[in-house]
Amino acid sequence: MVRGLGELESAIMDRMWARRAPASVRDVLEELRQERSIAYTTVMTVMDKLHTKGLLKRAPQGRAYVYEPVSSREAYTAELMRQTLAGGGNRAATLVHFLERLTPEEAAALQTALQVFPLKDSAP
Amino acid sequence: MIAAAVLLLYAVLAAVHLPRLGRMAAWAERAPRLAITMWQAACASVVASALLAAVAFAVPAEALGHGLAGLFEACAAMMDSGVTLTSAGAVALLVAGTALVRLGWCGAAVLFRAGAERREHVAWLRLLGRHDRNLGAIVLDHDERLAYCVPGRHARMVITTGALRALAPEQVAAVLAHERAHLRGRHHLVIAAAEALVTAFPGVPVFEHARTEVARLIELLADDVAARRHPRVQLAAALVGLATGRAPGFALGAGGETALTRVRRMVNPALPLRRGEHAAGLLTVGLLLCGPGAVALAPGLVALLAHHCHELLT
Repeated sequence: MVRGLGELESAIMDRMWARRAPASVRDVLEELRQERSIAYTTVMTVMDKLHTKGLLKRAPQGRAYVYEPVSSREAYTAELMRQTLAGGGNRAATLVHFLERLTPEEAAALQTALQVFPLKDSAP
Repeated sequence: MIAAAVLLLYAVLAAVHLPRLGRMAAWAERAPRLAITMWQAACASVVASALLAAVAFAVPAEALGHGLAGLFEACAAMMDSGVTLTSAGAVALLVAGTALVRLGWCGAAVLFRAGAERREHVAWLRLLGRHDRNLGAIVLDHDERLAYCVPGRHARMVITTGALRALAPEQVAAVLAHERAHLRGRHHLVIAAAEALVTAFPGVPVFEHARTEVARLIELLADDVAARRHPRVQLAAALVGLATGRAPGFALGAGGETALTRVRRMVNPALPLRRGEHAAGLLTVGLLLCGPGAVALAPGLVALLAHHCHELLT
């Protein structure tokens, strides 16, 4: 359940995914400060929120925590796409897909239907 | 009483047999917009005639003849004089009222659930995707070839990097034009309405078929809108491009028939309906929508005419 993930949450997750290594709030803050002015406590609050939401996991190191993404961006995306396509009854009301899923035979039939018409004379 | 029986008979026959007539209509793929309107009118006419049957059964014909004002007067008179509805009439009105409330409730539930799912989905998209200004869409880093739209207040289009790699730029443009047609046409509301009817009254053939057909026809409609600005062949090629080369195990579920229809329509367009055919379609829509009301009012009108003619003659 991810609600109201603000722009800052996206920016932090982008960096966490890009690092591919654990990072403390201080590490993330330094990266973020290269393009904006931002307070330590703000970053700490947002990262704590991301931890509560289950997107980051953390381990104590000295007096602070080091954070790490729970899953890769690819894994989250794959999961989102799986949910989207397996949405069941209410899917029609939420998302309209360009194409429903097809069997290989159906896909082959589509290709045959198209082959009769060469792409080069593509008049509207 | 006769009006009530006619309306009820029509509601039952239409609910069961209209789908068969609808399926036989080969012109639907040539005029998807008209066909969608006709399915909506068919559903509305079944609901309206069932509700009006109850009203016609419970309320005396003379009251209906004087229009709505007369109806209220009659109701007030009935309450004042202590005369109540017959118990059968009261039951009929109660059933009709319950059905109406149920429909409203289910409609609201479908919209609410869809809205909640969309909000959550958009939150994830904001996190996982990146907005591409040139495309006007969110690009998701994913190998599967997919394109879709999230309708509603924060409407957006989504395309995966897998789809972008598989399709030529003209094909991507055609796909996005199709999605934009869904968003601009507010197609999700059309689908939600059909969904609400099935949720409220499951197992009614006309509602079940309307939902399936509307979902199919809306794709054809969006194709037609996209084809106004983009070469039809590119849209067809995009359909094939997205359908093929999918990971095994990913390919399950239905929808193949619609896809084949769509490719055939794009590469080999049928003639649009002739003016006469189109007018006949609109006339049918009019009849479906006005018929139940006319039948319900007929006895009242007859009573009204009889009353006034009697006055004139004496």
